[in-house]
Amino acid sequence: MTPPDPLLQVRDLRVNVGERTVLRSVSLDVNAGSLVVLMGANGSGKSTLGLALAGHPAYHVLGGQALLAGQDLLAMPAHERARAGLFLSFQSPPDVPGVKNNLFIRTALNAQRESRGQEPLDAFDFLTSAKQAAKGLGLPEAMLGRPVNAGFSGGERKRNELLQLSLLQPRLALLDEIDSGMDVDGVRAVVEQVARLRAQGTAFIVVSHYLQMIEQLQPDAVLRLDQGCIAERGDVGLARHIAETGFASRTAPVGA
Amino acid sequence: MNSSQAERLAARDHLRRQGWIARRSEAFHHLPPPDLAHWLGGPSDDAGCDAPPLAGAGWTLHPLGDGGAHGVDARWLDALEPAQRAELLAGLPPPGDGEAAPFAWAHRALCRQGLRLRIAATPGRAAAPVVLELRHQPRQRAEAPLLVIDVDAGVHCVLLETHERSASDCAHPVTQNLHSHIQLGAGARLQHLRVVAPEAQDQIAHHLHATLAPDAHYAQALVATDSAYHLQRGTLQLRGRGARAQHAALLLLQGQQIDHQVHSDLQAPHSASAVESLALAQGGARAVSNAYTRIAAGADEADVRQRLSGIPLGGQPRLTLRPHLEILHDNVQAAHGATWGALPADALFYARQRGLDEASARALITEGMARAVLERGLDDSELLAQWLASGWLGRRMARQLQGPTGLTS
Repeated sequence: MTPPDPLLQVRDLRVNVGERTVLRSVSLDVNAGSLVVLMGANGSGKSTLGLALAGHPAYHVLGGQALLAGQDLLAMPAHERARAGLFLSFQSPPDVPGVKNNLFIRTALNAQRESRGQEPLDAFDFLTSAKQAAKGLGLPEAMLGRPVNAGFSGGERKRNELLQLSLLQPRLALLDEIDSGMDVDGVRAVVEQVARLRAQGTAFIVVSHYLQMIEQLQPDAVLRLDQGCIAERGDVGLARHIAETGFASRTAPVGA
Repeated sequence: MNSSQAERLAARDHLRRQGWIARRSEAFHHLPPPDLAHWLGGPSDDAGCDAPPLAGAGWTLHPLGDGGAHGVDARWLDALEPAQRAELLAGLPPPGDGEAAPFAWAHRALCRQGLRLRIAATPGRAAAPVVLELRHQPRQRAEAPLLVIDVDAGVHCVLLETHERSASDCAHPVTQNLHSHIQLGAGARLQHLRVVAPEAQDQIAHHLHATLAPDAHYAQALVATDSAYHLQRGTLQLRGRGARAQHAALLLLQGQQIDHQVHSDLQAPHSASAVESLALAQGGARAVSNAYTRIAAGADEADVRQRLSGIPLGGQPRLTLRPHLEILHDNVQAAHGATWGALPADALFYARQRGLDEASARALITEGMARAVLERGLDDSELLAQWLASGWLGRRMARQLQGPTGLTS
């Protein structure tokens, strides 16, 4: 029996930010329900990979290919990539002044549902599920009625990303340092949330340097990014080794 | 001739001798007002507009919520009748000789009626705010209504004031020179939401004067839409120690003009003033937002903030932002800024990454910014929340954004 195609297929992706080439050549596959951890020194291109795949206008793809469930991601505008099932958890989620969290998420969810030919959720039904999801993540209900991320602490912003992840239920989620700013309960919520969604088939790319969380996430693969290329591929043992020895002692990239 | 007629003639004579707003006027040269003749009306303007009775009723007062109208004394007064005119104008400052004085003289010349509200403490209900809605509908093609509000010491009042009309109620353009005088006693608090949405050909000039006694707090959130001429001018005098004033204006322009002016005068120690405006403009709109704040000598530890901003939504709108501080005391804090630019790119991408198309993301963020300005102006106001929930702003912004030069075009 032929194994199914990977959910995400990235081939020789090259990306410029301004005049600088940040990703020189990145190739990776991620299967449905699997989890890949991406590690690398500051400036190695981890966040760039997520933002480029998500279609940020400041990240210019010079070449390569990215397919999500066979669809050409790079040919789509940002919102269509999201509707195709790509979710990016931002390293620094921005404020959206004056837009209440529940309205923001419901508008996004209904935009995605509409694109799939589904009926929009009304405010009551949405709020019921949002309250339930918030409770599961340890987010006070009141935060649903506050403007998106305005006045939120770092940890609250990250939990809010998790809330959106939980409600939007994407096919592929890129979590960019989701653990930063989180307390131990927050990290536990990440692990539980990821496990639940993986069981439903969501694939993950997780950018993190936090070994304890990486171990708990039980990744299928660990990749080390260096100077815009995948320098090493391994399992959780690679993450442990990096945690012990750091990035500085490791070799330069050996190829894409 | 009675004293009312004499006063009106004297005001006309003053204008004839002193003239109208000078073209070089610092406050008005960016958007000069229409000529004096427009503000004095003519024989044909004495006719009421062709509106049904309640749609041209001048001021109407509607108590809201559980607070009701306890402690409210409302008197509708005829400015053509000498005794009522004297009562209406009692205690108000004379027109003076400032830059905007010609408007005040024109108001004295044309004013036919006014509403005088006194909001007093009610024994046993000191903690409950008095919640009111005031609606104004034009009665004449050229008019000069007057509103006087006295809030007694220690009383908390929440007021929604609306100036809306539909062209179907009255087909004629209206010229309206409105003057409002608000006097807050010691420790009094007024949260004031004003919605002014004239018809396209209307010529509107609203002058609001507020004086604040010690520890009084005046918070105003203004929503104004553009018209052939639209002036919103506020003068805030913080006379008492610890007085606080905040003013937030949302200016919505689809191709015409708004002149927004706020003059704050901090005369006492520990007084504070915050002025913020956001102009969302498109097409060939022309907006001026002018904040002038003076900190008087002796206003120790005064605190002043000015933040003026504008966002072009399409077309080639022109915006003039003029933050201005005059500081005559050393130990104060003051900050001001003006920003004219695009919607926040990071928030836009964030919304798009969640699945909103470009137009929807822009609309959501634009309306959010508009709401945020009003919410900052009236901290935690239930009245504002209810008004926002009514959908007025959402409908108005949707109409604007779908306009010929809006974001979604």
